[in-house]
Amino acid sequence: MSDIPLLEARALTKRFRGLHAIERVSFVLRRGEMLGLIGPNGAGKTTLVNVISGTLPADSGKLFFEGAPIDHLPPYERAHLGIGRTFQVMKPFPRLTVLENVAVGALFGYHGGEHDLKVAREQARALLDFTGLMHRADQQADQLGGPDRKRLELAKALALKPKLLLLDEVMAGLNPAEIDDVVGVVKKIRDAGTSILVIEHVMRAIRSLSDRIIVLHHGEMLAEGEPNAILGDERVIEAYLGKRRA
Amino acid sequence: MLRAAILALCVLALAGVPLLGDEVLIQYGIDALLFATLAQAWNILGGFTGYVSFGNSSFYGLGVYGTAIAMAQLHWPFGVGLAVGAALAVGCAVLFGIPILRLRGHYFAIATLGLSATLAAIIANIDIAGKNIGLILPLTRADAAFYEEALLLLIAATATVAWIAKSRFGAALLAIREDEDAALVMGINTTRYKIAALTLSAFFTAIAGGIHAYWITFVDPGGAFDLTLNVRMVIMAMFGGPGTVFGPLLGAFILSAVYDVLASSISTAAALLFGLVIVLAVIFMPRGLWDLAGGFRRSGARYLLQNIRAHRL
Amino acid sequence: MLLAQILLNGLLLGGLYGLMALGMALVWGVLNIVNLAHGAFVMLGGYCVYFLFAGLGVDPFAALPAAMLAMFALGYLLQRYVLNLIIRSAQLNTLLITFGLDVVLTYLAQLAFTADFRTINPSYAGANLTVFGLTLPLLRLAAFVAALLLASLLWIVLQRTRLGRAIRATAQNLTAARLYGVDPARLYAVTFGLGAALAGAAGGLYGMVSQVTPYIGATLTAKSFVIAIMGGLENPFGIVLGGIVIGIIEALAAIYIGPTFTDAISFGLLVVILVARPTRSLRSA
Repeated sequence: MSDIPLLEARALTKRFRGLHAIERVSFVLRRGEMLGLIGPNGAGKTTLVNVISGTLPADSGKLFFEGAPIDHLPPYERAHLGIGRTFQVMKPFPRLTVLENVAVGALFGYHGGEHDLKVAREQARALLDFTGLMHRADQQADQLGGPDRKRLELAKALALKPKLLLLDEVMAGLNPAEIDDVVGVVKKIRDAGTSILVIEHVMRAIRSLSDRIIVLHHGEMLAEGEPNAILGDERVIEAYLGKRRA
Repeated sequence: MLRAAILALCVLALAGVPLLGDEVLIQYGIDALLFATLAQAWNILGGFTGYVSFGNSSFYGLGVYGTAIAMAQLHWPFGVGLAVGAALAVGCAVLFGIPILRLRGHYFAIATLGLSATLAAIIANIDIAGKNIGLILPLTRADAAFYEEALLLLIAATATVAWIAKSRFGAALLAIREDEDAALVMGINTTRYKIAALTLSAFFTAIAGGIHAYWITFVDPGGAFDLTLNVRMVIMAMFGGPGTVFGPLLGAFILSAVYDVLASSISTAAALLFGLVIVLAVIFMPRGLWDLAGGFRRSGARYLLQNIRAHRL
Repeated sequence: MLLAQILLNGLLLGGLYGLMALGMALVWGVLNIVNLAHGAFVMLGGYCVYFLFAGLGVDPFAALPAAMLAMFALGYLLQRYVLNLIIRSAQLNTLLITFGLDVVLTYLAQLAFTADFRTINPSYAGANLTVFGLTLPLLRLAAFVAALLLASLLWIVLQRTRLGRAIRATAQNLTAARLYGVDPARLYAVTFGLGAALAGAAGGLYGMVSQVTPYIGATLTAKSFVIAIMGGLENPFGIVLGGIVIGIIEALAAIYIGPTFTDAISFGLLVVILVARPTRSLRSA
């Protein structure tokens, strides 16, 4: 049973008006794994997340979740299956309170979510506690500052009770102390049984958050392997910094 | 507890109005109550789900004509007539809702307006609908009965909105309003909920139309599919407070009164004033009266300026 | 022959419609404001030209620039001191406030000008050219040409002048435009003023081929909607084309189906187009 990977992508391709956002991307994410996804700006990382979460349809290729094809499922059904994501440009529900924001996830998440409002609120409260947002529970979401917005984004995704969590650059704009904080939280999430795909630019975080790393460049898979191997790989360094002059 | 008591008192007071015997008051009452229902019905789709419809007059008109045709041409009783009108409106909501609800913002608003204009023109040319001449319904003198029926309808609509505000269904609508893309990835089947909201909206709007048709006993395409109705119900809901339970009621009662009072005096100055009121209201109380009341309590007159500061360029 | 005449009539009127819709599309595309008072500006422009013509004997075409200037000023002031106040609130609010403005302007016009029908009838109004056996009313032809000229003028301004570049930049990205020194308050006001000026010009032309009353605004606003959406907000020529299409459809429908259906057809077409077209870059609704 645990031989079937949680997520399998085969030759996923998405083009925007001739531009290859992602081109024949294939990889596997195993249960309980933390898979890092890195690549320079414009590599196609967020597009890949959009395709996995269902926000964007792929032009070609196949996507499997727990062995079953999900290519034609709309985003909400993928959420029901257990795929949750955060948005790089955060999307809170502005005029709902922080608690209500998270409760929405509990109400409509895994397997259709809870049908009892009270239960959903309880679960939301627990998540606010977990992400350190309890003191803001009754504030309107659009009044939150940057780091708190990230916490909210995370809490909302967790409320879906995801089996697979797609984290899209959650570390952006955080200082080192905050980064370590979030790394700790993400590890706790993994320990609780959620598999995670982490997209990151912040190298400090990627090292500690990845069992394996895949690298995208110009929409194509550049490399795949252990963190140390990848981060020392010439091609990867070149992709970020440009060709080394001899 | 106190709230429930106040509410009950208000309902009793409203229900008791016909006992006063003032013809004009009862007629104003029926108008106001029906408009309040229209505003409340609009509120479900516009206030809670964030889909601003400028085409609810379609459903109103279908309610009017469904009832009129059933009663005038087929000689069915009032209740059945209402059911026919409601069925037509709900059918229209589901049929056109699916494609039109894929649009957002201005485009949705305009598409609904287009729909209602098209429907109006079509109905004006159907035989059983009496074409442009209209239909006449059986006469009945029970103004008070219409009043109570309108009140009952309003209570039903408001109770529905109150339920929405506190239910899982409502949570989905609010999520769609606040951020539809985020709602999608959070597991909400937005299409299903939008259509449900539209259907509820259509239902109450149509019944209001049916009651109005029987009350004035004459229907014609211009009056039934009156496009200005759309703006009026939107303004009433917005003026009172979209997305709240009692806001639209407040807006409808107050603006109906303003309309009537002004219309009985110099009609041009009246309309002018009305337009001015709208402009000022949007500037100073863009969230409606309900929000104004709360805001005033919190920060006094500064509330008015806060809005400008928050929304200016 | 009859069909060709109908098409020609529709074409001539359509050019005017296109000009009218351009004003609305400009404001919509740049400020994301759907101006429900657009028709009122058309109406007021019509009255401007009418009074200059009937009161001062100015040739209507010569009066157009004056009308445009007056409407520009009105539009500028309204945007700068009224609409700018609410521009960042919910979209619905701009719809409502422009509706309110429409009511105010319409009834002010009624008070000032009465509900009498006004037509702008210069001495050459009855003159006709005959081309290939088709009747070409001189006035309508002149109006059509004027409409195309103004549309081209708008295109030139948008593409070749500093102001035009600033407007286009603001339409795409306000924040970036600000970084380049654009003053949003003034730019928005200028853009709205331009939209009003175009509307006013269309109104002056409209008064030459039809009648002006305080109430023509609503239908004209609606028509501008339809055309603006058909043409696409970014493309002035698409809009002129859309105007022509609507003009032709109206002419055909009036003869073959009946005048009562013309509005329904425009609206029906509108709904179909809205629903059927691929969701290209809709402004973040």
